[in-house]
Amino acid sequence: MTYPQDTIAAIATAQGRGGVGIVRVSGSLVTDIATAVCQVRLQPRHARYGSFVDNSGLPLDEGIALFFKGPNSFTGEDVLELQGHGGPVILDLILKRCVELGARLARPGEFSERAFLNDKLDLAQAEAIADLIEASSVQAARNAVRSLQGEFSRHVHELTEQLIELRIHVEAAIDFPEEEIDFLADGQILAKLEAVRNRLADVQNRAGQGALLRDGMNVVIAGRPNAGKSSLLNALAGHEAAIVTDIAGTTRDTLKEHIHIDGMPLHMTDTAGLRQTTDAVEQIGVQRALRAIDQADRILLVVDSNSGEAADPFALWPEFLDQVPPVGKVTLIRNKADLSGEPCAIESFADGHSCISLSAKQGQGIDLLREHLKSCMGYQQTSESTFSARRRHLQALEQASHSLHNAYEQLVHSRAGELVAEDLRMAQQQLGEITGEFSADDLLGRIFSSFCIGK
Amino acid sequence: MDYPSRFDVIVIGGGHAGTEAALAAARMGSKTLLLTHNIDTLGQMSCNPAIGGIGKSHLAKEIDALGGAMAMAADHAGIQFRVLNSRKGPAVRGTRAQTDRALYKAFIRNMLENQPSLWLFQQAVDDLLVEQDSIRGVVTQMGVRFYADSVVLTTGTFLGGTIHIGMQNQPGGRAGDPPALALARRLRELPLRIGRLKTGTPPRLDSRSIDFSKLIEQPGDTPLPVMSYLGKVEQHPEQVSCWIAHTNERTHEIIRAGLDRSPMYTGVIEGAGPRYCPSIEDKITRFADKDSHQIFLEPEGLQTREIYPNGISTSLPFDVQLELVRSMAGLENAYIMRPGYAIEYDYLDPRDLKHNLECKHITGLFFAGQINGTTGYEEAGIQGLLAGCNAALRAQGRDSWTPRRDEAYVGVLVDDLITLGTKEPYRMFTSRAEYRLILREDNADMRLTEKGRELGLVDDVRWAAFVAKREAIEQEEQRLSTTWVRPGTPQGDALAAHFNIPLSHEYNLLNLLARPEVDYAGLQQVTGNGLADQLAAEQVEIRTKYAGYIARQQEEIARLRASENIDLPADIDYWSISGLSREIQQKLTDIRPATLGQASRVPGVTPAAISLLMIQLKKRQAGQALESADP
Repeated sequence: MTYPQDTIAAIATAQGRGGVGIVRVSGSLVTDIATAVCQVRLQPRHARYGSFVDNSGLPLDEGIALFFKGPNSFTGEDVLELQGHGGPVILDLILKRCVELGARLARPGEFSERAFLNDKLDLAQAEAIADLIEASSVQAARNAVRSLQGEFSRHVHELTEQLIELRIHVEAAIDFPEEEIDFLADGQILAKLEAVRNRLADVQNRAGQGALLRDGMNVVIAGRPNAGKSSLLNALAGHEAAIVTDIAGTTRDTLKEHIHIDGMPLHMTDTAGLRQTTDAVEQIGVQRALRAIDQADRILLVVDSNSGEAADPFALWPEFLDQVPPVGKVTLIRNKADLSGEPCAIESFADGHSCISLSAKQGQGIDLLREHLKSCMGYQQTSESTFSARRRHLQALEQASHSLHNAYEQLVHSRAGELVAEDLRMAQQQLGEITGEFSADDLLGRIFSSFCIGK
Repeated sequence: MDYPSRFDVIVIGGGHAGTEAALAAARMGSKTLLLTHNIDTLGQMSCNPAIGGIGKSHLAKEIDALGGAMAMAADHAGIQFRVLNSRKGPAVRGTRAQTDRALYKAFIRNMLENQPSLWLFQQAVDDLLVEQDSIRGVVTQMGVRFYADSVVLTTGTFLGGTIHIGMQNQPGGRAGDPPALALARRLRELPLRIGRLKTGTPPRLDSRSIDFSKLIEQPGDTPLPVMSYLGKVEQHPEQVSCWIAHTNERTHEIIRAGLDRSPMYTGVIEGAGPRYCPSIEDKITRFADKDSHQIFLEPEGLQTREIYPNGISTSLPFDVQLELVRSMAGLENAYIMRPGYAIEYDYLDPRDLKHNLECKHITGLFFAGQINGTTGYEEAGIQGLLAGCNAALRAQGRDSWTPRRDEAYVGVLVDDLITLGTKEPYRMFTSRAEYRLILREDNADMRLTEKGRELGLVDDVRWAAFVAKREAIEQEEQRLSTTWVRPGTPQGDALAAHFNIPLSHEYNLLNLLARPEVDYAGLQQVTGNGLADQLAAEQVEIRTKYAGYIARQQEEIARLRASENIDLPADIDYWSISGLSREIQQKLTDIRPATLGQASRVPGVTPAAISLLMIQLKKRQAGQALESADP
């Protein structure tokens, strides 16, 4: 008997914050994934300490990699364990990287299932595994029910419905060319496709916020040297995490700090001041700062409200704006308000960015910033507008979005009905991953009940 | 009496399923007997006179790729050819042939009579000889017993057939033919689930009574398409046009007023009819807001004046039929030659069949065609071919052939039927095939002819043509991928100008062909080099342009292949598997899927259930290993 040999990956340690977190990968792609993530060929059964890198070779985390060559492994297949720092955000990035490299996210109990199927567990343990799967699926079902009642599932269901509605128009046009229903030719499909894409973008946006609420938001503090970035981090953290001096360029490396605001996790990164420099060490710091900015959910751009460039920092820092495409992610912090004498206040702008005047040193206006960060995480919005989406969901939404984009390209550029149909089929399958169903849709049934068809 | 000689395969029924079944078994060298109640109706087109169309041409070409008759008959009998969906992409294209009934029937009859190893006998079958759940033979109306290893039942709408016109009904298998009542009773005694379905046919008109000047003409395509891979335009008889008429508000009023005498709307007919081929009374009732419907007037042949008005299938009383036909522009004086009618018939729940179309409960008894709940000549023909092939394989002691969903439309058809069953007559559509981009009408030969040759279905002539085409494709792809064009050279400039594309660097011709702006004909024109064989050239072009999509579907297939290869033993007790919900236990018990893959397609079966099944299998395997290790 042969069993499916695709590669699965999952976070093996308990959800939440721990000292060490493990991402486990099993399957035929393990060797390739290990080599790509660890940048060396791993020896079986040797612990190797080093960086886990992303697709451009930049480190995501550092930790221990363990490679077990099948059949001498837990599952009987090639297995890779990446033991990194315990934070959910970092583990999530590592997991995402494995998925990028061809693994798929494992179902509950799937590692044990494979172990059993590959004769790594004896017959007596079969019942236990079956119970485990049953329990996991019950748990998953319970979770599903919980989120079924929640907004996220409602939105995914509505989105799927809208997609099916679009598909029945496309499929009807394909399977019934002699009826007077050629929607592909009359522009109706394009309008419907645009509506579905907008809806999906909206759901993605909300789901992303949900994930922020659970896993925490990456906040990067950036700005000119000596604008008070480290002071700001210390003010938010409530203790001296960063070394604060009045010598410009003190923070030469990125400094990470995990803080909580009203129980919500924030992953703060203090960066080296952005400036042209000849100091080799400081240059590396600037590079790292720019990279951190690239991966941030929110950027606190700190300026000294007493300096001249504070008037319009965006205009002065085009090189910075190049690094931060969505200006909506930026909050401008006008620091040292105690010296300039301007009142501590918050202002929002039409392009999506906000501006807060405060004094990090004096602790004035810090509350405004805390509230602002909370609202950025969706905390102050009504609970209906955000949902708790897992990584699996976000990935499925991302893939569906990609498929819809392809469908759009096919429709607009080559007008090839069958390729539009294929991309829409993929999109629906990807959304189906969220609801956990084998898609057994009755497209034809819907076509017959929607359109008058038949010779 | 016992017939003095024994057969390998007996086929009951001479429609599209029966003839393909008999021809297939005989081609494979099995001594085959075709039993029909009337040799003169062999190859009869009982409903509309056409072969092919969307999804159906895919099946007709699969029959052809496996050496069957249908596509070749269509080429010799087709009087109007069109390629539907020609602009929506190659996978959803469908060639359709309007056919001359008489020519079609004559072609099929000729093939049957000249097929070595095939015998025809005119007698209705009344009984099946079954011993110990295994078929032994059949008994005809006059009591002759024929013995065989395999029997293929292809009785179409004849089993317990009832014809309805208005509130009157009478037993009938088709207008003018008696039903098979004794056989229907016999089947109901066997452990099979039998249901009722309904289908219908429109009144036929006399072309002399139609004013064609008020209708829209629909000519065939130019250049003329062919249906068979071996087909030639020269085989086509004279070509004619079809015509389009329209119903109007008055037509609909007439129908509404007659509904109280409709057997469907008064509850006389219980069987479900096809939703995609509804009667005209269904259409105006279900889509009351639509004030006009297209009616296609299709000539039944070159030597007859009979016209088939496609779109007004009806079981309304004759007086209503006459009035509704005459309410349409151009048909004011139409004369009806034959009334329309509905027919109700017995069908077998296809969930009682295996993937080789053999009955789960009686070995050696195969079912094919409309009796399995399908509708359409092509659906019937391909099932007949598959059942005939498997009947012969059984007689020869060889393993069954069961094409998968990713190999052929017939794989989709059979898997749908036996996994999902059907509540209405099942018709093929391209949207039923998840691997639609791979299963095209243009590549049925590439998908199936080699397998057909191995099975013994494909003769030397077809095989030689196929091998030549396949080699031409491979060589041409090789040539294109090794022919380079450079920007700035005369050829490079000529190509850039012809397709209006910039040539930024060196390309091989295959790379160029993959670009949306470039087509094969243009490449051929500019470079002065290319394939003369249009069908081979088409393959090169489609394979190149769709390479990305095709590769993705093939990955998907490979992923699912593993579970498709895991067999589920027939004796699994689903009720004893803890963790499966009662609903899933019930469904799996009803359907008894053959593989894990098929189980996953049963509606409601979840990924977790599949995991549990996999563990159950492993446990059985381990248990059996322990048992056999015991001394």
